[in-house]
Amino acid sequence: MAETLPTLKKLERRKQDMILTYDDETTYTVTYDDLRHACPCAKCSPLRNEDDSARSLRRQIESLPAEKPTVRTIGKYALAFEWQQGCSSGIYRFERIYDLANRRDPDRGKPYVHGAW
Amino acid sequence: MAMLTLFRVPETGGWVEVGMIRGPIMADSPVSINLPVASNAAPAGPSAQEQKQMEQAYAQMKRKMAMEEIGRKIKHKIMVLSGKGGVGKSTVSTGLALSLAQQGFTVGILDIDITGPNVPKMMGLDGRRLHVENGRIHPAQGHLGVKVISMAFLLEDEDTPVVWRGPIKLGAIQQFIGDVEWGELDYLVIDFPPGTSDEPLTVAQSLPDIDGMVIVTTPQQVALLDSRKSITFSESLKVPVLGVVENMSGFTVNGTAAPGTEVSIAAPGGKTLTTTADDGGKFSVTLDIFKEGGGKETAQEFGVPFLGALPFDPGFVRGGDDGVHRIVSEPEGASAVAFAKVVEAIQEQLSDGADGGLEII
Repeated sequence: MAETLPTLKKLERRKQDMILTYDDETTYTVTYDDLRHACPCAKCSPLRNEDDSARSLRRQIESLPAEKPTVRTIGKYALAFEWQQGCSSGIYRFERIYDLANRRDPDRGKPYVHGAW
Repeated sequence: MAMLTLFRVPETGGWVEVGMIRGPIMADSPVSINLPVASNAAPAGPSAQEQKQMEQAYAQMKRKMAMEEIGRKIKHKIMVLSGKGGVGKSTVSTGLALSLAQQGFTVGILDIDITGPNVPKMMGLDGRRLHVENGRIHPAQGHLGVKVISMAFLLEDEDTPVVWRGPIKLGAIQQFIGDVEWGELDYLVIDFPPGTSDEPLTVAQSLPDIDGMVIVTTPQQVALLDSRKSITFSESLKVPVLGVVENMSGFTVNGTAAPGTEVSIAAPGGKTLTTTADDGGKFSVTLDIFKEGGGKETAQEFGVPFLGALPFDPGFVRGGDDGVHRIVSEPEGASAVAFAKVVEAIQEQLSDGADGGLEII
């Protein structure tokens, strides 16, 4: 958790994915499907708790038409992605996006439990 | 008879033609008119149950519209939360509201802590009742003109607990949002009960365009652990974290001694703090009663802003009990200054362009 994150300097949106450039000169590609499947909102998160519902969520996302999202910063700590279709609720901390960029589980294996941590 | 032909049943015909008037009609004689309860043209009215459902749907729609209207009239909406109880959340909420009011903003506080509403007492509004006009609730006005809505105003006596199950509680919250005549506000500060339960979820879903949440914590590990939950909670609510405030951060002891005297004070954790009295014979030492810097560390760990530390000030306890908030009784005091800094940090977060220089293509 205490890992020092490089600062995201550039986010280039492409048709199917986005290229992230950090201030340590590293560059990563994150697909929109991966990004949307990792949505941290209260609707999507519980669906990742079980394998079946996680697969179903993935299928739902993959069936959506390809589109470039609108991206906005949330303070200095997160990004929000606005889509024409599908869920746009999640606020993605930079730490979460960095996990996705590095192909790590952004939930760190923890199941989502609403309000009872 | 000619006059009677003028009376018609809509879409059916005249009273005479449809047989509502029968028998001989003579001048100056009474006529018999058979008025049907329901004409063939009009369908049977809704049942009592349907009527009730329609009324409920109408009330819900009206409330939703009212909530949207309120959303437009209030420029900034700030939620104040903590994962743990007893960290001084209501003190921080009232402090933020008063500090903003000191700067000349119009401010309201919505006390959503239904089970333990303390805000009215802190705002000098103990025992007050709300004014209701044309079905709209008008907030009470506390110190510096801050508008206050709280469940405490509806309680018969303060010793009676509110024992409500979820749906009733949530209905009350929606009513507190939709049926209150706030007027134009620069800021609405919403004070929640501790934890990450239904109340913030209901507010986040009911009130549009919430700017963000302020997480209140104290420096000790247990409180920090819970504030981490609150930060994670914000992601699921789609409400940004404006930042973390560390309350009860340090207690400053002020004293006098002969100029140049070295003063030693026994501090928590077996530490000894030393300081030297200045040329005027004054000295001050800050004791970190609940450790120090935990709020800042949590903020850094989660990459959210740290809004500032508020001192441990016994004056808040007295002020809370007497109904005169510390910021009101000592507007230039150390606590008021600390609150002003926190407010400044919040305003910086609310301003546009806080993107850290990220280029989005």
